[in-house]
Amino acid sequence: MRIAAAIVFLLATLPALGQSMSPMRGVVTAFADVFAVRVYPSNPYDHRIRVEVRVYDQKFQPVPARVTPPSFMLGAEASRPVLVVVPFEGAASRKVRICTESVPFPDQQTQIRAQICGKFLARRM
Amino acid sequence: MRAGFLLATTATIIIAGAYANAATQNVLFNATVSPTCTLTILANGTLAPSADLQSLSSKLAGGSAGSVTLATTGGVDLSVDPVATVTVPGADASVTTWTPTYSVAGGHTVAETAGSTTLGAPGLSTVSVHLVGTKGGSDRFAAGNYQATVTVRCE
Repeated sequence: MRIAAAIVFLLATLPALGQSMSPMRGVVTAFADVFAVRVYPSNPYDHRIRVEVRVYDQKFQPVPARVTPPSFMLGAEASRPVLVVVPFEGAASRKVRICTESVPFPDQQTQIRAQICGKFLARRM
Repeated sequence: MRAGFLLATTATIIIAGAYANAATQNVLFNATVSPTCTLTILANGTLAPSADLQSLSSKLAGGSAGSVTLATTGGVDLSVDPVATVTVPGADASVTTWTPTYSVAGGHTVAETAGSTTLGAPGLSTVSVHLVGTKGGSDRFAAGNYQATVTVRCE
């Protein structure tokens, strides 16, 4: 309830087919000790893939954010919203990367993990 | 009669003048295209051992690069991460140095690099991902299955 009340602005860009994640840029203004971003990972493949959404700081260190859902199966050419709630941790502003990650073809000798990261700046009023 | 004709003529001129004063307005259309990036993995890579068993490489005969399609509106950075996830056979206890690199062809051209590249222009390109594992000194790769994961990042 507290977090729900603290969410001031949600980046509610509509998802677009063929993108791995949208939006990839954003500025958020919040009046509480957390801010929220809604991103839309999408699956450009013609088969289901497992998608994970992670949050990193500018040095790519993990940020203790609340991601809902953090991991899920995404159908072919489908997209779904993911809510990310990030604490300011006492700072007046915070830059984070929200990344969508997937290994679409696992169990092979050299796997490639595709990672699409959006950069977001949040300011606390 | 003459006055009536004059009045009718004047009225016609006034009406014609009214039409001549019809205004035109411009309707503006604005759009903002945000940076977007799609990575579609076409094929994972294959590693082949060198004759002296001190190298496992996608560049050697029998190996192959991974292939990724990249579509972007521009204004994004492309990079690969150091390899963090590797599975090796139990007999391999020595250290391996893994070096991922990539090159880009098509809408963008990037020579093979391990660093970050800014793609300023929009386009559709193919990213070739290479991986080389090397051992130093007298260390050798052991018999068994190796598996490594390379992270390709677009941000």
